Amino acid sequence: MTGNPNLQVPDEDELRTMSREERAHLGMALDGVELAEYGERYVPGSPADKHAERHVAMWFLLAALFGLIFILVFIFWPAEYEPAYSDRQWIYALYTPLIGLTLGATILLFGLGVVSLAKKIMPHEVAVQQRHVGMSDEVDRQTLAAQVLDTGDKAGIKRRGMLMGSLLAAGGALGVAALVPVLGGLIKNPWAERADSPLWVTPWAPAPDGTKVRMVQIDGTPVKPADMTAGSMMTVFPGVPGGAKASDAAVMLFRLRSDSVVRIRDGQQGFQFGDFYAFSKICTHVGCPVSLYEQQTGRVLCPCHQSQFNVYEGAFPVFGPATRPLPQLPIELDSEGYFVATKDFIEAVGPGFWENGKFPAWYSEPKEASG
Amino acid sequence: MSYHDTPPTGGPARRRRRSKAVRRITGGLALLFALTALGLAYLTFAPKAQTATAADVDAAQVAAGKQVYDNTCITCHGANLQGVVGRGPSLVGVGEAAVYFQVSSGRMPADANGAQIQPKEPLIKPEDIDSLGAYIQDNGGGPVIPDGNLRNDAEISRGGELYRLNCASCHNFTGQGGALSQGKYAPAMTEATDRQIYGAMLSGPQNMPKFGDGQLTSNEKQAIISFIQNNKATIDPGGYSAGGFGPAPEGLIAFLVGMGAIVAATLWMGSRA
Repeated sequence: MTGNPNLQVPDEDELRTMSREERAHLGMALDGVELAEYGERYVPGSPADKHAERHVAMWFLLAALFGLIFILVFIFWPAEYEPAYSDRQWIYALYTPLIGLTLGATILLFGLGVVSLAKKIMPHEVAVQQRHVGMSDEVDRQTLAAQVLDTGDKAGIKRRGMLMGSLLAAGGALGVAALVPVLGGLIKNPWAERADSPLWVTPWAPAPDGTKVRMVQIDGTPVKPADMTAGSMMTVFPGVPGGAKASDAAVMLFRLRSDSVVRIRDGQQGFQFGDFYAFSKICTHVGCPVSLYEQQTGRVLCPCHQSQFNVYEGAFPVFGPATRPLPQLPIELDSEGYFVATKDFIEAVGPGFWENGKFPAWYSEPKEASG
Repeated sequence: MSYHDTPPTGGPARRRRRSKAVRRITGGLALLFALTALGLAYLTFAPKAQTATAADVDAAQVAAGKQVYDNTCITCHGANLQGVVGRGPSLVGVGEAAVYFQVSSGRMPADANGAQIQPKEPLIKPEDIDSLGAYIQDNGGGPVIPDGNLRNDAEISRGGELYRLNCASCHNFTGQGGALSQGKYAPAMTEATDRQIYGAMLSGPQNMPKFGDGQLTSNEKQAIISFIQNNKATIDPGGYSAGGFGPAPEGLIAFLVGMGAIVAATLWMGSRA
């Protein structure tokens, strides 16, 4: 900012004789600001002046009061959880709104105090500042550029190769670090294990010794046919350690009514046991849990994007963005009468990926007697 | 330890005779004990037959129930509970649980067939509902809602877990219900009583799957009911639940109210500058 070139800069003796107000005016004048109007807002000590002071003080006092209430509520309010039907539930329920309202009020009232301080107490002024038009003068631009470049020359940037190299290394590492979360997924090859790749194998696969995996409820109870009534659906998990937490293992076990007309997907005859059918619970669109089962229409709905699968038609998608049927898990009973998975799913569970084999067969055939 | 380490305590013949007698007696006792234990275990684990026993049947109540049935239900469900094609399903085997849920919530008798039968003020008096239930139960059996308290407040957190696994996908995590396909919906449970929720789980009304006692034990059903009812009776910490639908309406309110306030404040400050 260029100052006023016509201004006479006073020497030290003159400065000493000037009043504080004069020096303040001089400082502004040196910055190119002229005060057209300046002074107290009200006559000091007048009723209007006192009224303005009280007005501003009121906001600050209210802010202080609410701040104090916030502190007291935060420390002393009985914030312990009270269950439903308890007489003291409302005390617990009030805690969060109270600390929010009191702290919010403190900040708001403090802000109002500052605004009214500026409007009612601070001196009123009308200031005019001289500003140049357009870009800076040629001389200003040339000198500034020279300053910047000269600083670089004096620091010897050009001859300090080690410094520049290390700076480039740091910048490069930072850039790569930003890319790693995006590209890191490409490092591990999911196909290194070929047929045993985790994309194909779920915890339902029988153990190496041939032991078949039991279907259990979430609490570990094994499931037998008599547990389910016709028209029911149960979410079951593989009865192996960590089975209930595995993201690809959740299965819906349906017991359809015996008079339901059911069609079986090509090559999956016998995957059912009587009226019991097990389908993966993981949507083939983007992997949400499908579980909204309409037991009369036989549709299972996905809550995320409204895909619908028809259990009577091999869990084919009948609506929404999913394009593949839910994979069916082949099931049978073990020697103790509990459900087990005969083998693992015959296709990959969940959303599709490039290598997910050929498009599954879509035509279906009537159910054969089984179970 | 070898055989020679044990000193013999009597003649070999006598010892053999005694041990034979002891073996017989202990063997007999063991068999008796095993049979008794097996019997007791069977009594504990054997599922209770879900049919009404003769002692439960009150002939007068069944007759009164038949009267109610003939007056209000027969048009759609047929003279012999066999159902009428295009009107209503067979009621053989639906049980008292289904009758109680459908009639006490006002779904039955229905106004009209549609995507979903709507609940309304019940048309049938409570004692008539009981008679009707006895009549249906007497003609085909089916699930029955147990008497007495249907809550399990001791296991309310387990009830919440089971609710989120089995119920929340359709009825929403606060019990507000949600849409299904083609006009059907899972209803909100704001009005539902303990008995109605229990009856719905047992009988699977409309498109709701059934949850028999093998899938959710009576204890587990009661824990779920405790969770639902406690949820309804809990004051919302924010003071307003915004419909209980979670982040979407809450975000909308935060956006409209918060952004609205900021825009209003900005306009006000601009007008005063």
